[in-house]
Amino acid sequence: MSKSKEEFYKALSEAVVEYDEDACKELSQEVLDNPDTLTPMEAVMNGLAAGMEEVGRLYDTHEYFVPEVLMCADALYAGLGILRPHIPKADAGVNAQVVIGSIQGDVHDIGKNLVKMMFDVAGWGVHDLGRDVPLEQFVEKQLDTNSEVVAMSAMMTTTMLGMKKVIAMIKEKNPECLIMLGGAPVTKDVANLFGADGYADSAGNAVSEGIKMIGRLREFQASKK
Amino acid sequence: MAELTSKERVNKFFKKEPIDTMPVFSGMGTVVIQAVNEMGVKFAQVHTTAELLAGSALKSSEMCGLDAVVIPYDMATVAEAVGCGLTLYENSADILYPTVPNKWETLEAVDIPADFMKRARMPMVDEAFEILLKDGRFGVGAWQLGPFTLAGQIIELGLLLKGAKKNKEAVEAFLTKMTDIVIESIKHYESLGVDFLNIREMGSGTDLLSPKMWNSLIQPHLIRIFSELKTPSVLHICGGTDMIVPLMNQCGADALSFDQKNTITKTREVVGNDVIVLGNFDPYGTMVQMENPADVETAMKKCIDDGVDAVWPGCDLWPDVKMDNIKAWVNTSREYGRKPSPAIGRL
Repeated sequence: MSKSKEEFYKALSEAVVEYDEDACKELSQEVLDNPDTLTPMEAVMNGLAAGMEEVGRLYDTHEYFVPEVLMCADALYAGLGILRPHIPKADAGVNAQVVIGSIQGDVHDIGKNLVKMMFDVAGWGVHDLGRDVPLEQFVEKQLDTNSEVVAMSAMMTTTMLGMKKVIAMIKEKNPECLIMLGGAPVTKDVANLFGADGYADSAGNAVSEGIKMIGRLREFQASKK
Repeated sequence: MAELTSKERVNKFFKKEPIDTMPVFSGMGTVVIQAVNEMGVKFAQVHTTAELLAGSALKSSEMCGLDAVVIPYDMATVAEAVGCGLTLYENSADILYPTVPNKWETLEAVDIPADFMKRARMPMVDEAFEILLKDGRFGVGAWQLGPFTLAGQIIELGLLLKGAKKNKEAVEAFLTKMTDIVIESIKHYESLGVDFLNIREMGSGTDLLSPKMWNSLIQPHLIRIFSELKTPSVLHICGGTDMIVPLMNQCGADALSFDQKNTITKTREVVGNDVIVLGNFDPYGTMVQMENPADVETAMKKCIDDGVDAVWPGCDLWPDVKMDNIKAWVNTSREYGRKPSPAIGRL
């Protein structure tokens, strides 16, 4: 007997929380095989993304740490890889784009990759510039793609100052563009001082913040129905 | 007038002998841009020759009034020597520390050359230590990344973090290999005659790892490292550390160093008054951002009141400091630190 919609949600969510990549893949395929039960988009948002929200809660309560979160992310991506190609473009979440990367001088990208996942899940167009990215590249890519958000991370204090320059360059050319900063040395004061619109001070908090973003997106989408 | 020289003060401090006043120094980079500018060179150059590396360290400590010099400044020396390359950012207008451009993609692919201490900039760093030791005015500190953080310089950190759960034996073997490198390099600096050693396992705080994982994955290697050292040694970890203070205290280091996320008052309660505790001001938030040196003085006094034995920055000083803020750090430590600290008496 095939699963109900709620049973799919629960199973997908648990597979993410339990970082079970195989289960995520199998369940995602099962979703595709049962198009009358639920849509791939519903499975992503109410199954995979809901699982990641629980992961965020477990992180906040110190039951999970970054290794677990990374494995949960892998499980989520395993399902997303199967479901995403079957989501009609019109349903694929928000019609928005983000430019993301670790700033020049910084070769760390765990936090950046976790935030990237949040945008991926939410159906954003993601332009990942990688790590150790020269400052001008953020500006050029934003202008080329007209992305709504630029997200930059720096794990070291010693690279953080480059962000300030990027923000100034982008805001000068495109004041509407939102800037997210992340990384261990980034505090609320620093984000304010640099003129950023949002921040997260660790990979983990990037997860929490990103997950909250997904939560808001899910509420938004539910309210549209 | 100071009764001890800077070098004497640092050495007596680590021996837990009475000193005249609180020493002002760090176990992490204290190079300031004012010193680099006065030498007429670019920041990218100071990492490339022994004369510039040692010269900028000496000039920075002279200008700031610090008691010690610490080199190198970047985290890439060993990773470069084992074959990961080096990016110096010579053309950048910003202050950027060298990094490694290449990382191995699997644990198995990592191939450490046996003579890594003779490769790339390692001999240059040795030569710089010789200059600092010959100068003789300051305490001389060497540091090395801890095995886990060093591993993150030469392979993808995500690989290591996930491997710690999924492939524990392979990660364990790899960390043992990293520990061997740390021991070889740090014992070499010990043989050169440095005054203190700092192991910076900075990537292992509870922002990333659980206390349980820290206990099983990180601590055994640190215990092995500190058991090999005869020179006074420090264990420094950045980020969240409150939950692992007791574990850090079991590693065998002579002193523990924390950044601004640590609750020093609680840490002091946990470790007691016999352990040297160092920390814990935010180097960027105080030395660069604060507009009024009186605010720096307040921040330094808080560190002392919380129970540190010397006021250390939580990380490398950001080189573009305000000199008045540095003076506030130094003067407050000297004056407010005339009274004994929990682990160190006064003459």
